[in-house]
Amino acid sequence: MAPSVKPISSPVPIEWYPTLAFFMLSIGLVVTSSFFIYEATSSGKNRSLAKELSTSAVASFFLGFGSLFLLLASGVYV
Amino acid sequence: MARMRFDLTLLLLFAFGSFLFFSAVSADLVISKLDRRIDLSSHIVRATTSLKVENNGAEAISEFLLPFPEHQAKNLALLTVIIVEGKGKSKVSSESLPVRIVNPKDSPPSLVWYSITLPKELGKGGSLNLEIKVALSNILRPFPEKITQADVQLIVFQDSAQVLSPYAVHMQSLTVKLPEPKVESYTKLENTKFSGSEIKYGPYENQPPFTYTPLAVHYVSNKPFVVARELVREIEISHWGNVQVTESYSLVHAGAVILGEFSRLEYQAQPHLRGASAFRHLIAKLPARAHSIYYRDDIGNISTSNVWGDSSMTLLQIEPRFPMFGGWKTTFTIGYGLPLKDFLFKSGGERFLNIPFGSPIDDLVIDNLTVKIVLPEGSKITSVSVPFSVKQSKQEKISHLDVVGRPVVVLEKTNVVPEHSQYFQVYYKFSNLSLLQEPLMLVFGYFLLFVACIAYVRADFTISKSSPSYLAKLQWDEVRSTIQQFEGVVNQCLIVHDKLQASLRDLSRTGDLQACKAARKTADSTLKELLKDLKPLISFLQSSPQAAQILPKVEELVAKEKELQEKIMQKHSIVVESYDKKSGIKDTENRVTALEQKIVLLRQEVDDLVDTIDEI
Repeated sequence: MAPSVKPISSPVPIEWYPTLAFFMLSIGLVVTSSFFIYEATSSGKNRSLAKELSTSAVASFFLGFGSLFLLLASGVYV
Repeated sequence: MARMRFDLTLLLLFAFGSFLFFSAVSADLVISKLDRRIDLSSHIVRATTSLKVENNGAEAISEFLLPFPEHQAKNLALLTVIIVEGKGKSKVSSESLPVRIVNPKDSPPSLVWYSITLPKELGKGGSLNLEIKVALSNILRPFPEKITQADVQLIVFQDSAQVLSPYAVHMQSLTVKLPEPKVESYTKLENTKFSGSEIKYGPYENQPPFTYTPLAVHYVSNKPFVVARELVREIEISHWGNVQVTESYSLVHAGAVILGEFSRLEYQAQPHLRGASAFRHLIAKLPARAHSIYYRDDIGNISTSNVWGDSSMTLLQIEPRFPMFGGWKTTFTIGYGLPLKDFLFKSGGERFLNIPFGSPIDDLVIDNLTVKIVLPEGSKITSVSVPFSVKQSKQEKISHLDVVGRPVVVLEKTNVVPEHSQYFQVYYKFSNLSLLQEPLMLVFGYFLLFVACIAYVRADFTISKSSPSYLAKLQWDEVRSTIQQFEGVVNQCLIVHDKLQASLRDLSRTGDLQACKAARKTADSTLKELLKDLKPLISFLQSSPQAAQILPKVEELVAKEKELQEKIMQKHSIVVESYDKKSGIKDTENRVTALEQKIVLLRQEVDDLVDTIDEI
């Protein structure tokens, strides 16, 4: 008769937000630090663009999602 | 007093006039029994009329007319009519019938006519039980209009003892319920009785249509007269798990205006004697599981509030910064968050929000209510369904992490009473992928930062490309990169040495001679290759002037490493030999010990040299 009505909730359980934020941000910061160490210690021809770009892609992914979950955990529901 | 009389005589004139015009129309329907109950216990007048209408004419009737005097129709907030069947326990109520305003040609000017469409035609000789609920706001008048702090508030309520109807009524009665069991004065007509806190007028029999006997009740009411001149409710949905409701109120005490001074001392000493007409607390019934409730105004947070929660609702009690006396105003904002799964649903391909329309504050009359529903970015609004008439419009709002803006549905209504707190629905479409837009925007932002870093490190901003310091720096960079490569090669050699040592230990454990020999062979070939790699690096270092400091250390390292290599090879050959010859363990040990010590020493020196080169 009438189509079924289902309640919608968030894609990730809300109780996980602070934990997710913490772990994603810490992993992101670790990868960021490895990126900057590589930048500081390598020199001249030794730098490989592929390694730099891949490290920065992984770091920005974790930092981006980590800061999203940080915003959600602190009550700014974006 | 004079004004009151003028109103009533005017109405009487019009009532008699309209009787002449409408006698033809209303000859068919007759109301056989009518019970009216007017509840004056709050500042919203609620009148419930249960009546039984019979069709004594020849034609079937499909509409029922209900007139209201103009001053009442202006303040009519709610009119619902339902059909009731059965009595007592087996009472069955139908849904609320459609009501619309009509303008009959011969109507006198100060009456407003409502026409109720019956679902089935009422045939000849048929009868129907109707229940009419009317809520009138802003119709009670404080009398006297200005009182001092010590006075009680007296209210006048004016109506008619007989219901204003175009049909003849065979029997009717009226009960007026007062908030307290005492009354200042009331119009004494025939069949009037006052007992407890109720005044009964009636029963009146066989009244012709449009009979109107004015009555007035003058009584004490100290219930809070809370009226919100303006309320803006903003409901913001976030699919990440929260429905945030923000309500901004601008309240006024719409009772008798306070005259003279307000003495805080007297008020605090005897609040019931000096301040009976004021109110301090407001109670709001929020939905269950409301969280992050705040109560603030322009100055800041207001801490005088309490929250009690259980599984069916959350009770919020707020106390404004000062007690509200007649004529005083206050503005504040209340906000709370609600879990998504109680209010957002998916049906078919659409999502919809199911949330109450009015304000959660008890017994509040709102003059102008604006409800704004803010949907997440990327949603398309399809329809809005509200159980009563509202004015709809659309807006855009830019909020956190927004690119284009969020669609907003704006619903406006005037003269809202708590009976309007019914659920309404907003239907919209939203795809789950659009939810990813926000984190991807953040990821992209961070990636741009990293790309900027990469570009900065690779960019060359020197102005003069041929200055000696610049050239020297270039050469030093080359030397550094060569040394790094050299270190890499040396580390690889050391790894090969370690492998050889490991193979010897494996030999002593497993006794597998063939594996040991194979390891030796691979080690030899690897070391040869590494040596070849080392040659161009060393020649470059020898040629460049910048490397003058490092060169001796590098050469020392190469020499030591060669020695180490030789010693390890020696040790390896000895051990393999002794295994081949199957000589005793003691014998092997003796030969190897001296070599072992030298190997350890050399290894130590090599490591130290690597460290010093690193530091440069």
